[in-house]
Amino acid sequence: MSKSKKRSTVKPILYSFLSFVLACTLFFMSLACIAKLTVFSRDFMLSAMSSEGYYAMVRDELRGELKNLGHASGLTDEFVDGFVDKIDIIKIENDYITAFYSGSNTLVDTTQFKQDLNAAIDEYVAEKGLNPDSVKEENVEYLVDSATSIYVNTVTIPFFSTFANFIYKYDTPLSVSIGGLALFAAVIICIIFFTNEYKHRRYRYLCYSTITATLCLAVIPTIVFASGYITKVNIATRALYNLFVSYFSSMFAQFYIFAAIFAVVSIILFIVFRRKYKKATGHH
Amino acid sequence: MPKHHSDHRSSYNGKNFIILPIIFSVIILGSCFLYIMMSASTLISVASMFFSDTEMDFSEQYNNIFVPVAESSYEGGSSGGQETVAISSIKYPKVGEQFGELIIEDCQINDKLFFGDGNVELNNGVGIYNGSFVPGYGKTILIAGHNNTYFNGLKYAKKGQIVKIRTSYGNYQYEITDIQVKKATDTSAYDLAANYENLIMYTCYPFDELGLTPYRCFVYGKLVSGPIIDKNS
Repeated sequence: MSKSKKRSTVKPILYSFLSFVLACTLFFMSLACIAKLTVFSRDFMLSAMSSEGYYAMVRDELRGELKNLGHASGLTDEFVDGFVDKIDIIKIENDYITAFYSGSNTLVDTTQFKQDLNAAIDEYVAEKGLNPDSVKEENVEYLVDSATSIYVNTVTIPFFSTFANFIYKYDTPLSVSIGGLALFAAVIICIIFFTNEYKHRRYRYLCYSTITATLCLAVIPTIVFASGYITKVNIATRALYNLFVSYFSSMFAQFYIFAAIFAVVSIILFIVFRRKYKKATGHH
Repeated sequence: MPKHHSDHRSSYNGKNFIILPIIFSVIILGSCFLYIMMSASTLISVASMFFSDTEMDFSEQYNNIFVPVAESSYEGGSSGGQETVAISSIKYPKVGEQFGELIIEDCQINDKLFFGDGNVELNNGVGIYNGSFVPGYGKTILIAGHNNTYFNGLKYAKKGQIVKIRTSYGNYQYEITDIQVKKATDTSAYDLAANYENLIMYTCYPFDELGLTPYRCFVYGKLVSGPIIDKNS
């Protein structure tokens, strides 16, 4: 085999390999960007909460649970309705989520809730003119503790505290990784672009990478949505279930957005490639 | 003719723009899949437990399988020619289903009877703890109810009063034999492994007090009449 023929075989393999490496880089950079925009984003979580009526559902669930408790402890449904209506669920949830993403204490402050409930019960006792013998301090305390426990379980999101540390710890490294991957991708693009003898080839190899990134990013959510797993999650409450479905549906939708961006870039690269190719081969 | 024209005719036709990216994608996703399966298989197994085959149902509605049988079915006696009902002929209730009624006329109690004692059941009537048994099974029947709603009438319970339980497979009568107040954590209040039919109804105690108490009022009953479930048929 002549030296020039050998070079003409090696070069396409080398550039195809570079194309593959660039595709990997773009894919992982996209994953990191999606993570940054979703899992690591407080606004994404708050958006998922508000879009699915999460706050209203949490209020209804708290109301229902406290009514159940009331049936066992002598509180009327009207009392529970009035008490729950005064709770600012949106503020409580926002504070909880903000604390979660800032890495501070993710425990819900129950002081205000306990104070309000005790005050409401005192008012209720006075209004109803209940016999003091039927209102024992320890029983009321037990009731308030149980109600507080219900309140905490209702407004918190299970396992979030477990991930809080993870989010806070890896937020900066994730940003650095995105920057690193972007730099690495830029270097490969420069190599492909400036070392190729023919202009059309530059666009061809870049196009391979972007098409690959499009395919990879589109396949993942397609498999997830087709399997229907998101909607089959076992979560005990409607509010959390809806939040979970909304959160992960939006997260996987981000894959499609990134895939669409790469698809557009691929089309542009392909059009440029064809023009350059025609020009190089004398086709008009 | 330029030298690279023939080399890249296939590229111009677009085949490489399909085949190579597909190959690359398979390699990338395949590698990711293998890596995840090898490094996080335990996590994946655990995660799979959080998913079911069907979508969640948050309906607060309950299923009612109770079809009353004639009142005369209370007659039968607990000795001699005891009436039996084949287990194969009855529909054993699922958790959350209403399958009967519980009536204590002396206590002004006339409630729906559920299998299970969750929120839906206790918000609509009284419920049998699903670790105990249905009437006629020859074992312990442990029934819970809220003291401020459906079991408020238990405060009038007295020995000798009759408890009627109506189900789709027969009507039962129990006689109240004892009433005791015990701590909620006192497991001696009931014996779920007992091999004789015994009815235990319980609710929070004291009645009509504000707040939660650590005490429970247990009302015990013995079977007077009603068909025995033949577990061998």
